[in-house]
Amino acid sequence: MSKRVFQHPAEAQTGKRYWRSLGQLQDTTEFRSWLHREFPQGASEVEGNEVSRRGFLQFMGASVALAGLSLSACRRPMKYLVPFTKGVEWSVPGKALFFTSAMPSRTGAMPLVVTTFDGRPTKVEGNPMHPVNKGATDIWAQSSVLDLYDPQRSQSVLSSGKKSDLAAFHAELAALLKSAGDGADLAFLTDGAVSPTAERLRHLILAKYPKAVWASYEPNGHELENAAVAAAFGPDLEAVPRLDRADIVLTVDRDILGVEGEIASVRGFAAKRKVDGPKSKMNRLYVVENRYTLTGGMSDHRLRLPASRAGAFLKALATELAKLSGDAGLASLASSFKAPETKFKDKWVEETAADLWAHKGGALVLAGRRQPVAVQALAFAINAALGAVGKTLELRKSATAPTVGIAALAETLKKGQTNALFILGANPVFNAPADIRWSEAQAAAKNVIHLGMEVNETAAKSHWHVPAAHYLEQWDDARASDGSYMVVQPVILPLYNGVSVNELLAKIAGLEADPMDLVRDTFLASSPKKGDITADWVDTLKSGFRKGSAPKPVAATLQTASVAKALAEAPVLTGADKDFELVFITDSKVDDGRYANNGWLQELPDPVTKLTWDNAALISLAAAKKLGVHTGDVLKLTVGDKSLEIAALILPGHADASISVAVGYGRTEVGSLGRNVGVDVFPLLTSTESRFRVGVTAVKTGRKYALAVTQEHGALEGRGADLTRQATVAEWTEKADDKTFFKKMGIDAHAPENFSLYAHPPLDDIHAWGMTVDLNSCIGCAACMTACQAENNIPIVGKEQVINGREMHWMRTDRYFASEGGDVDEPEMVSQPLMCQQCENAPCETVCPVNATVHSEDGLNVMAYNRCIGTRYCANNCPFKVRRFNFFDYNERSITSLYRWNLITEKGMADSLQMQKNPNVTVRMRGVMEKCTFCVQRIQEAKITAKVHASDSQGQTAQPRVPADAFTSACAQVCPTDAITFGDIRNPESKISKLKDDQRGYRLLEYLNTENRVWYLARIRNPNPKMPDAARAGSASKGGHGHSEKHESAQTPTGGHA
Amino acid sequence: MANIFPRWSNWLPLKIIFCLLTLGGGVSAGVWYYLNPEYMRVGYQPAQPVPFSHKIHAGQLNMDCRYCHSYVETSAYSNIPTTQVCMNCHSQIQGTSPKLQVVRDSWQTGKPVEWVQIHKTPEHAYFHHSVHVNRGVSCVSCHGKVNEMDVVYHAESHSMAWCLDCHRNPADYLRPVAEVTNLDWKPEGDKTQREIGAALVKDWHVNPPVKNCAGCHR
Repeated sequence: MSKRVFQHPAEAQTGKRYWRSLGQLQDTTEFRSWLHREFPQGASEVEGNEVSRRGFLQFMGASVALAGLSLSACRRPMKYLVPFTKGVEWSVPGKALFFTSAMPSRTGAMPLVVTTFDGRPTKVEGNPMHPVNKGATDIWAQSSVLDLYDPQRSQSVLSSGKKSDLAAFHAELAALLKSAGDGADLAFLTDGAVSPTAERLRHLILAKYPKAVWASYEPNGHELENAAVAAAFGPDLEAVPRLDRADIVLTVDRDILGVEGEIASVRGFAAKRKVDGPKSKMNRLYVVENRYTLTGGMSDHRLRLPASRAGAFLKALATELAKLSGDAGLASLASSFKAPETKFKDKWVEETAADLWAHKGGALVLAGRRQPVAVQALAFAINAALGAVGKTLELRKSATAPTVGIAALAETLKKGQTNALFILGANPVFNAPADIRWSEAQAAAKNVIHLGMEVNETAAKSHWHVPAAHYLEQWDDARASDGSYMVVQPVILPLYNGVSVNELLAKIAGLEADPMDLVRDTFLASSPKKGDITADWVDTLKSGFRKGSAPKPVAATLQTASVAKALAEAPVLTGADKDFELVFITDSKVDDGRYANNGWLQELPDPVTKLTWDNAALISLAAAKKLGVHTGDVLKLTVGDKSLEIAALILPGHADASISVAVGYGRTEVGSLGRNVGVDVFPLLTSTESRFRVGVTAVKTGRKYALAVTQEHGALEGRGADLTRQATVAEWTEKADDKTFFKKMGIDAHAPENFSLYAHPPLDDIHAWGMTVDLNSCIGCAACMTACQAENNIPIVGKEQVINGREMHWMRTDRYFASEGGDVDEPEMVSQPLMCQQCENAPCETVCPVNATVHSEDGLNVMAYNRCIGTRYCANNCPFKVRRFNFFDYNERSITSLYRWNLITEKGMADSLQMQKNPNVTVRMRGVMEKCTFCVQRIQEAKITAKVHASDSQGQTAQPRVPADAFTSACAQVCPTDAITFGDIRNPESKISKLKDDQRGYRLLEYLNTENRVWYLARIRNPNPKMPDAARAGSASKGGHGHSEKHESAQTPTGGHA
Repeated sequence: MANIFPRWSNWLPLKIIFCLLTLGGGVSAGVWYYLNPEYMRVGYQPAQPVPFSHKIHAGQLNMDCRYCHSYVETSAYSNIPTTQVCMNCHSQIQGTSPKLQVVRDSWQTGKPVEWVQIHKTPEHAYFHHSVHVNRGVSCVSCHGKVNEMDVVYHAESHSMAWCLDCHRNPADYLRPVAEVTNLDWKPEGDKTQREIGAALVKDWHVNPPVKNCAGCHR
């Protein structure tokens, strides 16, 4: 018998390959050095430039001596137990209390249930009763708790930059309003999330001051889309995509599953993606886009195309559809649109059109919100021709009355007639389009009053700044993306005396009402029942929303004439051939810059680029070669007379003639975390008809810039090929009866049967915890990472530490590109959430010298922090690289003072941040290893609950058992697509006990015999067999590491890295 | 050639070894004895802001523990009663006693009474009251005979070994749930504690975490 060698053979250089980065694909020396270290280069060295090793020892000696002299530390510290004076209703010390609420947002508020401990909100979850999200949330809702406790939030009223108080402001306000007359000298600017109560107050104010100007502005808003809807279907309507009904979806420059969609769309798409077997019906997604997005990653067919050519694509599609349907109207619309001449990939347009037409009534075409009105209107015309309107595309009356745009407001202000400008929540000084010269306009107003949560760029240029209340501190109401009415309940008193928008508006309207009554009055006004509404009100507070309040869709027909007009008037957007287009993308984390001071979001790797703490100019490899740059080289982008310098980041699958840059970075007036992070690209934004610009020139500056990209972190040496598995529907159908089809892919196809030389202690608890991750519905949005961070008290480490590979996220979403023969232009993309696999035979446990990490009977690989001495052997031996080490006291120190000497550094966590911490999870200190625990605090809580209720009666009882699916982990709870399932695999009634035995189920690195408790369900792609690139899609079974092929070298003594 | 080292130096290595052993042994013994919760914690009896006597309330008056520590059966924490709870009775009884001035002040001003903490679980250990009292672990097992204490003191060591002692042999400590707050409870009839406990362990499937670190550390 030949000797067994548990080495992974070298990856095949032919066939389909999965790669994390270009560095891995090209096997650069930098990537090799990442691999060969457990943590990357420098991660385990003290390289602070302030204290040398010798100096450190001297200081240490001195501090030990000092500690010896003063024996004060020996006394037992006196601690106090402080009960309430009077009992507080519902409050039980040590137990969480839950309130329904909602997080306002411009795309529809997120229904929430807020977890509070002793009166402080620590975590938000989705409202499981609400049909829009069914308990799921997104990264912004999860991170909003940190915004509440941000110690650098605005904390006092400022008058011309000097500290003032609310009474002085109210006096000033009264004086301003006294002279207001009919309101001709009043102006209001709000952001896009206007609550029903604020809307009601607006009408009261406008009744009192009829000539006041009311504007709203969202840099990533829907203005262009609204205009397109108005052109296509009539005024005061909103378009609601129904992905839950669509069988064929085509998105053109629209990241519907990412930053340009609502959670309802994501859930709808995922519901159509759930499969039981090869016969299950699955939707099909065609994506046309200039850069890789999450939507592109989920696509079955993807066409990379500059954003400025989206119009040309839709024109070609409309022409083709008109041919198929004989629709003369559509043909004439298409021909009236002057789009630049563009050649598309072979048969792409024809086959897409044919597929859409074949699924008439179940097809949906979505155009990007950044596209010109004409292009979006053309997309609506195509939808109308496909019979989508009323089916996959619904129309709804807008809930808010139209407002003036920011450009028109700026014009009004520049006349110098405005006495008082109220800016409520918006930050136009930072994010208004450059060409309207907002700062000048604002300076022309005699009094500018800014209400906001932070002292931002706009506050700095305002006469008055009033701190705003966080949504968790105020009474308010909101509409979900389905239009249903929700109440926003306060769960804590304002920490810094913040004022809500409603309170300020009520003051201006001359109302003296309690903030709750303001909301209640709105509730009453919109109530279908009259008279006593107390029962309704209480029921709404309990469930979080008023049942049946979602508005019905309205019928609408395409207004061909106005679409034709819009198309005929649309300018042709083309630049010179050598030039680039610049696409302003909504950032996946800081949005338009409003979350810039949120450390969780800044440190969250972008789902696609894996970039943290920065924005960058995303370009294709071909463009990079043309410009002579690599990732990290600074480019100078010039358009018109404006230019800026920003580091390039090569992104596979990017369109060649295109550059994408996220807006919202480069803030100057913000807390210390967000200040001067990234580059501000708003100076290049114009208020013209699109949110991309053509005719942009890019040149290399020769400067280098360090980008903190995590895409190579956590790479598993030579073991990347078969971690993600996928197949097409056709392949799956062929292997429908082969139970091991997905299990025996890649190296597992020819690894010998596992056997163990050791006897393992039995895992004989009544429970056995496990998890499944369905890669078919996982879109890679990283909401799980943020939820984990909030639940498990995970600190942030800062950009420098991320570059060193020391980020602390317990789980990561690995993003792989896959292509045949190393094609970097049009690879496929797969996201894979990776948390501790809770191996039953955990390699980390056997190497721990102090038994700090051991196994529990219910199958958890548990970590006892107080035993850990920080040898990091466990991380070294972990095949999945999921263990994280506290190289510094990240909880006790600010990220700028990590390297400073102990005695001269201010330590400790801000009081407000301490309030956010989950009281049921240890806050770890320096020198301790940590990792995913499967949310052991929730497991313990569930077990304890089962035990507490088991012995209610004397005598014999059944063995206490947690009921099936009684609770779940934080990542599973947040998941918008229900891709993660957590539960008891030993309980036959639990969801997971069925899912884990799915044919698609497989475990990572099975041949290592680690017996993981996490099962992945392989991804299925549903390509159109008639498309020319169908053969390339999805399949993992082709190429050198095929399912059926033998790979003898894996078992030979010289196998492995030959 | 003269000797380089004087004669007495022959014994020097042995003397040094002896001294080091004595010193090392002494330090070890000192650490073992003095830095042990048995020495550090047991007997800790701080003065409280109110001279509240458990001996009178729980002993003489025979009040149930749960009258004041009302959430012990539902929560991880056994709560300290609010001022309101004190005033339930003391607005009627001993209404003018100078000993209760602090409580009355608290009731009037709304400022809570600051009780000094006696029993403290280390921050890396998560103790859950309700799961213990609902499974037949009496208050007395961890807090001693509070009903005989005028001023409460730390009666048990609360070290990890002490916890595990019971987790490994629960039969030695369990009693019927109804008797949990009866601090003077003795095994009834001719049955021994061990027989009663063993029956309860079997009937209720009592299986406290012993090897599962995450049972207490998370």
